[in-house]
Amino acid sequence: MSKYIIRRLTQAIPVLFGITIVVYAILLAAPGGPTARFANNPKFTEADRAKFKKAWGLDQPIPVQYCRWMGICNPDNEGLAVFIGPTGWPAFLPTAVSGTTNGVLHGDLGVSIDTGEAVASRIARAALPTFILAGNALVIWILVALLIGVYAAIHRYSLFDQAATVFAYVGYAMPTFWLGIMLIFLFSGPGLNILPAGGMTETRLSPPFGSDAYWQYFAANPGTAIVDILRHLILPVFTLVVVNIAGDSRFIRSSMLEALGQDYVRTAKAKGLPARVVIFKHALRNALLPVVTNIGLEIPFLFTGAIVTETIFSWPGIGRMTIEATRSFDYPTLMGLLLITSILVVLANLIADIMYAIVDPRIQY
Amino acid sequence: MTPLQPGSQPDIVEIIRKEGSSVDYEVGLESLNQWQLAWRRFRKHRLALVGLGILGFLIAVAIVGPIFMPFEFDVIPKPDQIVYQGRPPSLAHPFGETGGLQRDVLLLVVNGARTSLFIGFSSMSVGVLIGTIVGSVAGYFGGWVDNILMRIVDVMLSLPLLFVILVASRFFGNGNVILIIIIFGVFSWMTISRLTRSLFLSIRELEFVQAARAVGLSDRRIIFRHILPNAMSPIIVSASLLIAANIIAEAFVSFLGFGVNPIYPTWGNILSNALTFIPLGNWWWPAFPGLAIIFTVLAVNFIGDGLRDALDPRSKE
Repeated sequence: MSKYIIRRLTQAIPVLFGITIVVYAILLAAPGGPTARFANNPKFTEADRAKFKKAWGLDQPIPVQYCRWMGICNPDNEGLAVFIGPTGWPAFLPTAVSGTTNGVLHGDLGVSIDTGEAVASRIARAALPTFILAGNALVIWILVALLIGVYAAIHRYSLFDQAATVFAYVGYAMPTFWLGIMLIFLFSGPGLNILPAGGMTETRLSPPFGSDAYWQYFAANPGTAIVDILRHLILPVFTLVVVNIAGDSRFIRSSMLEALGQDYVRTAKAKGLPARVVIFKHALRNALLPVVTNIGLEIPFLFTGAIVTETIFSWPGIGRMTIEATRSFDYPTLMGLLLITSILVVLANLIADIMYAIVDPRIQY
Repeated sequence: MTPLQPGSQPDIVEIIRKEGSSVDYEVGLESLNQWQLAWRRFRKHRLALVGLGILGFLIAVAIVGPIFMPFEFDVIPKPDQIVYQGRPPSLAHPFGETGGLQRDVLLLVVNGARTSLFIGFSSMSVGVLIGTIVGSVAGYFGGWVDNILMRIVDVMLSLPLLFVILVASRFFGNGNVILIIIIFGVFSWMTISRLTRSLFLSIRELEFVQAARAVGLSDRRIIFRHILPNAMSPIIVSASLLIAANIIAEAFVSFLGFGVNPIYPTWGNILSNALTFIPLGNWWWPAFPGLAIIFTVLAVNFIGDGLRDALDPRSKE
């Protein structure tokens, strides 16, 4: 097993390397590059442009820029010596050996052009709200999809099954953001103003989420703070999960139907086992095999879904940061975000494979 | 194939006549080509026919509608009545009017249909074009060509595509419809190319390909005239689903403000403009473009299901 995991991890390295190249190529091929943010600024002269480029190292040739971003090169040296870190070892080695501290390979994603803050710490700060959103969405998504799928499979062609089928078709065709807009109208519009239309906390009651003042407030009255966040979570989570529930409930249903038709299920029934045991122990466990892989592969798309959900509900997470960075051509932030989400996709693929291997003992390595 | 006696199956013969198939009178056999057979299977799929009807209607609206209700950016319908609140659906304006400039929502949706459907279909074509070429070359030649191309596909599929499309539209798109179409195509060919490659891998070993090679045909001719037509069915099914994905992606990108120039109505742009008016209760503004998207995607998905049954009978669940 561990051998298999190690092999898969080594296979992921060239893919990740390719991703850094693609990410870099996409962004740097764009006209104007990072100076595009000043395109509509009449006071921004050519001299300013040159100064900006020099300050951000954009006057260097693109391979040099890429290799500095990656942390393969050491910007302090020149000529072939750029590959040598301060301690005399190659710069791409871990910080402890090479002495180099900048570049992706050393965990440094650069500095945001927008805020002047380190990209890594910016992303880390925005990650908590996104994880709260995506984590809740994930739990609800899997639970509801399982319930709908299994129930619809057991009561095949019942009214519930047909309703679930219609829901699956419509839910799958529905754009996430449209659902979000309509939910805001329904639950926080002028008619039925019962849920907050956006944000993560009630701004009139508590300091902005993530600040030191907020954590003091949180420590002082945790009950109200958690209820407040939960109230703000309802609409975005619902928006985020509907598409996934629609797709996966169908998938679970068909997988469950297949399992229910197997000989071992008939044997279990013939033995006189109670229906609950037959369904949950014999059928469901086998039906879950393909489902596990499928869900594993879909998890990273919670983050893409979060981009638009967070924008609609002004949720202060990674998704909204993505939109802000895209809008203002904040290259380092975007590259960091793209890289991290790509790594998440690769990891999810890996985890899906490994989980499949765990739940299906027939798999050999 | 069992020989058919003339007139032994009158119902089938009748159906064939209606479809205007070729009749070989000498043998007394009526032959249906592949597409006629597929159409017969497709017709049995009721939802697919409904989908075809809905999509046909929407396409007709997209083509004809803007002639009768042209969208003019610089014409403000009621310059003396610009108020923040929109007006709910009425007889004169069945989809209501927008807040602010008081534009007719129906007019916006009809004009949006043109751009959104155009983007959906053309970016699908771009994606299928790239995908089939890459897939055929990889599958036909194999070896290092195949290896390099498929590693590129692996890397592209490991990207969070919606995110990349969003960023690329902002950086290269410039609000230009053609550029947006190319961007969508460039990031949606990977699944098609994998599919084409696997089909080519199996078809290239068949006898008729060996025969074509023995006759001395060029690689290009073998790929495009001999193998590709035989690989077409699964590619068409997969392409139909790409349309739905691209229409949603367009709405997504335009909604976030990075797609088609926001002054032109597309379904995503209308939704984007409507967002700020939602707390006022102007529900009709976002509701109708959203329903248009849902109906289009539903129709395309139904057609895709029907096509799968019709073109690829072996892949039945």
